[in-house]
Amino acid sequence: MRKEELSNKDLGNWPKLIGWIAVPIILLAIWQMAAVHLNQPWIFPPVTRVIEQLAHPLREHYASGSLLSNTVISLLRVLLGFSLAAIAGVTLGIVMGSIRIVGDAIEPIVEVLRPLCPIAWLPFAIAVFKLKTLPQLVGVKYSHTIFDQVQLGMIFVIFVGGFFPVVTNTLDGVLGVRRNYLLLARTLGATRRQTFLYVYLPASMPMILTGLRQGLGLCWFVIIAAEMMTGSDSGIGYLLMYASDNSAMDIVIAAMLIIGVIGALLNFTMRRIMLRTVRWKGKEV
Amino acid sequence: MKPDEAKKHPGDNLLALDLRGVSKTFYSTTGAKVRALEDVNLVIQEGEFITLVGATGCGKTTLLNLIAGLDTPDDGYLRLGDGLRFGDNVAYVFQHYTLFPWRSTINNVSFGLQMRGIPRKERKSRAFELLSKAGLSGFKNAYPHELSGGMRQRAAIAQALAIQPKLLLMDEPFGAVDDSTRRELQQMLTELWQEHHTTILFVTHNIDEAIVLGGRVLVFSERPGKIVREFNVDLPRPRNRMTKEFTNLFIQIRQALSGQLD
Repeated sequence: MRKEELSNKDLGNWPKLIGWIAVPIILLAIWQMAAVHLNQPWIFPPVTRVIEQLAHPLREHYASGSLLSNTVISLLRVLLGFSLAAIAGVTLGIVMGSIRIVGDAIEPIVEVLRPLCPIAWLPFAIAVFKLKTLPQLVGVKYSHTIFDQVQLGMIFVIFVGGFFPVVTNTLDGVLGVRRNYLLLARTLGATRRQTFLYVYLPASMPMILTGLRQGLGLCWFVIIAAEMMTGSDSGIGYLLMYASDNSAMDIVIAAMLIIGVIGALLNFTMRRIMLRTVRWKGKEV
Repeated sequence: MKPDEAKKHPGDNLLALDLRGVSKTFYSTTGAKVRALEDVNLVIQEGEFITLVGATGCGKTTLLNLIAGLDTPDDGYLRLGDGLRFGDNVAYVFQHYTLFPWRSTINNVSFGLQMRGIPRKERKSRAFELLSKAGLSGFKNAYPHELSGGMRQRAAIAQALAIQPKLLLMDEPFGAVDDSTRRELQQMLTELWQEHHTTILFVTHNIDEAIVLGGRVLVFSERPGKIVREFNVDLPRPRNRMTKEFTNLFIQIRQALSGQLD
């Protein structure tokens, strides 16, 4: 056992290099050979075709925009909806956790709505908001910018997707705040408002960030699904669906790879932020 | 060298704290009744350094919480001296989790000043001064988990002193550090008290510590918690543990405590 541990260490960075380089290359090679052998690119395109698509992210497809423009639209929708969810979720979580009557009053409804798949809200959201866009909200019919593609219904569904992980994690964080910190703040003269701002908020920051990370990941899931629904006319999920209807499997797979990489980058970024901002996590003394 | 504080301030009889017949009962989750405090009578003059010694879990913390206004007594009379107010000039130092882990040392010390709306620059300079006094000027940007146990308690004391307390409550603040650090901290606290004459109520289960620090030592009984004996410590500070008087007092207090255990 001891020896195994040693030999694991001796390998240095090799396992990582294998995972990041060798395994993908082997899989791509198998894919390429299989695809060439099968020779039915509308079902199973070779790697080279997919790479060719990825290498031309600005190429227009069926007057529905490019891989890049649709990716940007999806990201914009997610970031807007998620930001709203983050602000509302953190605020409500802190209020629920620190004011007991509010928590008791709201928790049942949260628990019922939470397990509901955010996509289930889409028909309702579209019915309520029609296809209203962000510029129309402020009275501009067409801004001729990317914001014309940001429908309120989409934002609402993203909001729902991000809101629940944020609110439940924040609530857990607030309920886990050590009583000592509250007592300390009180004896040092903190008012109620100051206690929210300078104790509840920072003390539950590790859980808040966990919630934000989960929420952002879920938002990215939800936007792709929402864009694949009927009625959608833009976004990377829409392009994926549209390309599939046109048997352009190379574009479908290119879109899948983009979605996966962006999801991983969002997660990675949130983790970095978390490690930086809460260096004290798990080290309370 | 300081004689007994009552003699130090002749005629200076400002009351810091007055407790009469204070009682407190808790109910455990199983419904059992726990008499935490029973008929506690205690009068503290301003500028006194009182130590309260008793076994762990005998209600001392409950008493401090009542005084700090974090809890209310079931029965009896509790009054803080004139000008003393909870959340204003009554500070509290705990044994554990004495600092906010998300704040650097200097931001911990300046917390109370920040709550009072004192401008950033001023509160930083005042906090830095206190940190320097506590020997932590080199650690102002360190976080609590990066400090040793002794340093944390120094910082906690600086944090409490920053609000210029008129009453300092301390709940076994040196209970979690090693012996030599504990002695250093005791010395620092003694010096601070000699300089400022802040009223201090210090809880400990360590008899030696109670005698080294206190002008008066109160012996606390267990279940129900009440003050059973009181000793005046008429020994010059800093106190020498190797004197006969010290040892005699130690034995007397030990007897008073173990009398409670029978």
